[in-house]
Amino acid sequence: MADNSSDNFKEFHSYMAMLQNLDVGLVVLDREYRIQLWNNFMESHSGLHPYEVRDKQLFETFPEINEEWFRHKAECVFQLNTRAFTTWEQRPFLFKFKNYRPITGSAEFMYQNITIIPLDSSVGIVERIGIIVYDVTDVAVNRIELKAVNDELKRLSRTDRLTGLYNRGYWQECAEREFKRGQRTGRVTSLLMFDIDHFKHVNDTYGHPAGDAAIKNTADQLVMNMRETDVAGRYGGEEYAMLLVDTTAENAKIFADRLREHIAASTVHYQDVSFQYTVSMGIAELNDDIKSVDEWIDAADHALYESKEGGRNTVTIYKKS
Amino acid sequence: MTQTANVSITEDQRDCYQEISNVAMGQAADLLARLLGVKVILPIPVVNLIEVNELRMALSGIENSETVSGVCQGFIGNGISGEALLIFNDTSFNDISDLLKYGGVADKSLELELLMDVANILIGACLRGVGEQLDVGFSQGHPVVLGQHVNLNDLVAANNYRWTKTLAIEINYKIEGYNINCDLLLLFAEDAIEVLNRKVNYLLED
Repeated sequence: MADNSSDNFKEFHSYMAMLQNLDVGLVVLDREYRIQLWNNFMESHSGLHPYEVRDKQLFETFPEINEEWFRHKAECVFQLNTRAFTTWEQRPFLFKFKNYRPITGSAEFMYQNITIIPLDSSVGIVERIGIIVYDVTDVAVNRIELKAVNDELKRLSRTDRLTGLYNRGYWQECAEREFKRGQRTGRVTSLLMFDIDHFKHVNDTYGHPAGDAAIKNTADQLVMNMRETDVAGRYGGEEYAMLLVDTTAENAKIFADRLREHIAASTVHYQDVSFQYTVSMGIAELNDDIKSVDEWIDAADHALYESKEGGRNTVTIYKKS
Repeated sequence: MTQTANVSITEDQRDCYQEISNVAMGQAADLLARLLGVKVILPIPVVNLIEVNELRMALSGIENSETVSGVCQGFIGNGISGEALLIFNDTSFNDISDLLKYGGVADKSLELELLMDVANILIGACLRGVGEQLDVGFSQGHPVVLGQHVNLNDLVAANNYRWTKTLAIEINYKIEGYNINCDLLLLFAEDAIEVLNRKVNYLLED
């Protein structure tokens, strides 16, 4: 009998050693959020010995824990007797521990996933909860870096190199979206197309790099004048397209005229030469007669053509003929 | 194709799955109702054996929404493995925020909290309900955020599926008086269906 209990004790002891050495944090809290169990992982990372934290209130011992947030999660576990999970995406960590790899790791802190499990529920009342702390720093860092790279790739794939505006492909996508939204919600949206007058002349007279400078200058003027909600893209060589959401053709014309005047007043300096140029613009407001994005663009193009015919350096609003 | 490509379920088995889901989702709804103090409208769970690439069609409850947010959580027990998917219509978030008493406007990080809170309750309770009836204790993996404010197709197509068939149980939860619409899907792996069928047959014999 005595042998048996000493075997049991040995067995229990080895189980405890397993728990102690798990590379996962284990904490048990009672109903008042006092710490009841604190394994080796927690001790190592916090620098606090189990006897130092035993029966101490969690939020007093670790003021960095957002009490309201954690209670919200833990009360669910106490009251409903279900598990709760939190991920590093919600909050990077529960316990602010240093990164396990201080030399080669790039994260300052240990990212943690947390599982909260109900304990002592044999009679259906949860008297304690167990917290399991997983170190997910590598996963989190990789995910964050991957996302940053993907975001950058996405940005590059949408951007026109020379001007920094959206490229034609992405602008067209935006136009499709805005067209559908306009159809569905009946929201007023105007489309502005414009290009540089006598651009061939600029290229022939001052050279192509100077032409590029004019294209860039036009984009800069555009960015300086546009609102945050406007969507501007480089449509073609010296052609620009812009979506003005929640804007009638008349209001779009006020914007367009101001931009046209700014461009006409600006001077392009390229190496030794300086020159000025103008732009011609066309506006089409979305209406029920326009059945596709292509028709919408055509309408604005048509108005742009009228501006060219009418002597350039002007803005024309599309009218159905 | 794998050797289990011809898995199937009989009408009786389907009824039994539906009954099991009914009980489980009732328990989950009860927990949610207790936590929130609201009335949860109980739908009829939809049980289907579908091709995994038809998953999109199984999400009938939220097909009309423009963008969605979702989390998934793997589970396994007694050789029965699968994933739970919880998908929210993005228009639900303001009402959920009111319900969970977080207050304030739901920004992206608050929405994630809400998503995880509801996922914890619904997935945990449903799995426990199903597990109790089938006498299986399910271990749950850590939940993974599938995406926030993404197109539904992107959300469910992002994965490279290894299974061809899945037993899908769809539960579309609504809450009375609130504009909240979420779909809980329990998807059982192809090789789990046989085990499940055996368990269900055992229940059917009684």
